[in-house]
Amino acid sequence: MNLHPEKPPPLTLEQLLQRGDIWRGQSQRFTPKTAMDTGYPALNSGLLAKGWPFSSLIEICQQNLSNSEWLLLTPALLKTSGGYIVLLNPPAMPFCQALIQAGMDLERLLIVQTTTKADFLASFFELVRANACDAVLAWQPKQALSYTELRKCLLATADGAGLYFLFRPASSQQQSSPAVLRLLTQLTATDLHITILKEKGSLQNQQQHPIAITLPRLWHGLLPHRLLEQPVLPDTASTPHVSTPNGTDRSKRKLIRGTQLRRGKS
Amino acid sequence: MRSLQRARIANIHSRLWLALRFSDLPLNVLGFDSQSEHAKVVIEKQRVIGSNACADAAGIVFGMDVTTATLLSGCESYTRDRELERQALAQLSEQLYQFTPYIETYFCETRPHAGLLLEVSSCLKLFSGIQALSSQIIQYLQNTFFSVAIGLAHTAKGAWLLSFEKYEITGDENKTIFCERLKQLPVQLLYDYPKVVEGLTKTGFDTLGDIARQIDAQSISSMKKRFGADFATSICDIFGIEQDFQQSSLFEKPAMIYQPKETFIEILQFDYPINQLDQLQWPMETLLQKLSDYLRKRQLQCQHIEWTLADIYHNKENVNVYADTAQREGRLFYQLTHIQLEQRPLPFDVDTVELRCIHTAPIQNRSQLLDFNQTKRADRRSHDFATTAAKLKARLGNAAIFKLSYCDSHFPEVSNIAIPLQEKSTQLLPTLHSVAVRPTWLFAEPALIETRKQGLYWRGHLELLLGPERIQGNWWKIPMARDYFLAQRHDNVRLWIFLDIHTKQWYVHGVFG
Repeated sequence: MNLHPEKPPPLTLEQLLQRGDIWRGQSQRFTPKTAMDTGYPALNSGLLAKGWPFSSLIEICQQNLSNSEWLLLTPALLKTSGGYIVLLNPPAMPFCQALIQAGMDLERLLIVQTTTKADFLASFFELVRANACDAVLAWQPKQALSYTELRKCLLATADGAGLYFLFRPASSQQQSSPAVLRLLTQLTATDLHITILKEKGSLQNQQQHPIAITLPRLWHGLLPHRLLEQPVLPDTASTPHVSTPNGTDRSKRKLIRGTQLRRGKS
Repeated sequence: MRSLQRARIANIHSRLWLALRFSDLPLNVLGFDSQSEHAKVVIEKQRVIGSNACADAAGIVFGMDVTTATLLSGCESYTRDRELERQALAQLSEQLYQFTPYIETYFCETRPHAGLLLEVSSCLKLFSGIQALSSQIIQYLQNTFFSVAIGLAHTAKGAWLLSFEKYEITGDENKTIFCERLKQLPVQLLYDYPKVVEGLTKTGFDTLGDIARQIDAQSISSMKKRFGADFATSICDIFGIEQDFQQSSLFEKPAMIYQPKETFIEILQFDYPINQLDQLQWPMETLLQKLSDYLRKRQLQCQHIEWTLADIYHNKENVNVYADTAQREGRLFYQLTHIQLEQRPLPFDVDTVELRCIHTAPIQNRSQLLDFNQTKRADRRSHDFATTAAKLKARLGNAAIFKLSYCDSHFPEVSNIAIPLQEKSTQLLPTLHSVAVRPTWLFAEPALIETRKQGLYWRGHLELLLGPERIQGNWWKIPMARDYFLAQRHDNVRLWIFLDIHTKQWYVHGVFG
């Protein structure tokens, strides 16, 4: 009597390559096909799926507490079909007045706060597997996520059908990640620069210039009176390709600088 | 042969009612015996509505002013609790359900008279006749705290009235005897019609027999004309007078079947003690499957279940599981139980698992909104999310998952409120706020900005871009005045900062994200 069951035969290379979760350089056989329009034509054209890929883990590395994530994602979130948009572990409380102004339906916006990494992961898995969630925006907890945990997140997103964004600090871009799409966002005085660090189906560092999204006009502030008569500054050669939410390229725009506040003067 | 058959059919339709009048119910529900030594009265609207024997002996009568009653006997007075009385009657109905399924509750509005009316004609064979049945009921009620008077008649109202007189139950009673007994009763017993009783007394009607004679001599329509249709119908109900219908049984009110309150309790005992959570999966799933069947068959739903884990040494551990929305199946309850048990080890080797579901509600009782497309979609969304929300709440706590809502206020931190998932968000912004510059992130507590020689500093140097926007108010409490600015930090992050006019200090309140 054979007490030890027979070991399964080792997997062949061909069998391994049939798996969808094996990265194969430029092969786009298993890259996500369906995507949500980002609302920015320049960004759409920079992405393989021509938008935010569905059922995929999209990792966004940020420099600070907040790097215009609402600016980047609001156009896509507004196009979702009517399910919940969940903010998991957000860095602060979203301000309802700004969201209502942006056209967001507060009935669809849920906030889930976690304290530990285990709770964060468990909540992330639950949320991405819930059919009622159209988008999950998750901010990594204080304890950094390991590669294994990120891979679990990736596998969970494959079960869902929505948009899943994971925000991580810029320092984590050095760490390897299994995310389908990795982005780095950086703010300049006038634009939000988006660098595609890695995307499934394309080789790394193919991007010549970062994609730029123009910041809202209001964020530039008002031109101080003493600068009103100065000529318009020309665009510099290093200025990247710029996109606005309505798709029109930026031609000329005043570089507006505010006055530095001096003590005792406001 | 045909006449015999007709007699049998008539016998099937004849009813027998047993009235149980709890004469001291207002006193008994407050925990007092009618035979207690000290004088005690129950009052309602400053009038005595119930008293014990000692108080009666002192001359206290129904309707007496509470001050007079206190002066008369120095009695203790207690306020009547109608809800307690209702609960007591419901409890007694549940206990008497063992004798008959037809139980009605009677409450008199003008007097503190309350009791139960039992239709017992269908249970006579089971209990070997009315005599045996009534003695069993009396014996059963003697073990309770309530004093009871019994009446027997062929109609419910007749039985109630006969409970005011003491008649021995022999088992030979029939409709004629009941009618004879009823005819001897004074009209003052018709407490439900105080004005009619007054009129009857004035016109010389002293007993119910006088009314019966009047009906025999003329007809019921004369009573209807003089005292109203309601009273005439009541008299017909007392005597069981069939009105002019060919098939009176068609118009007869059917006896109400008492529905006892059902609860789901199931116990599963193991052959060996269980000390691992995984081993509890099968028994728990089995019990929850039984609960699902129970709910489906009765078209019910529930929101709360209770597990009791026990061992052979009588140690017990209760686990309460609450769902966010009412459930018709046990699947979510299992997942919620699992989350709860995962977080605490089993306290002992479990020998018995008990599942209780006490409170249930009919499925039809759910409120339905107008079926506009949007509402329909929102309903489906919340229904689909219910399981996820419940699991998240079980793990993180109720406060960890919420929605946002606008609250009308000048102050940003007051206008931004977190609300539970079930509540509806307010999304209507006043024009002032809908055009103003507002950040997407708001700090719960404004962060203090350093004022250096070079200017403002909060994790980097700040430059003002836009502003100020003056927000002030709250003068009735602590006056607040702030000048809000849009500022840019050296790393190009836009912040929403304000200068507190009173303290002359700068704070960061939000981030434009």
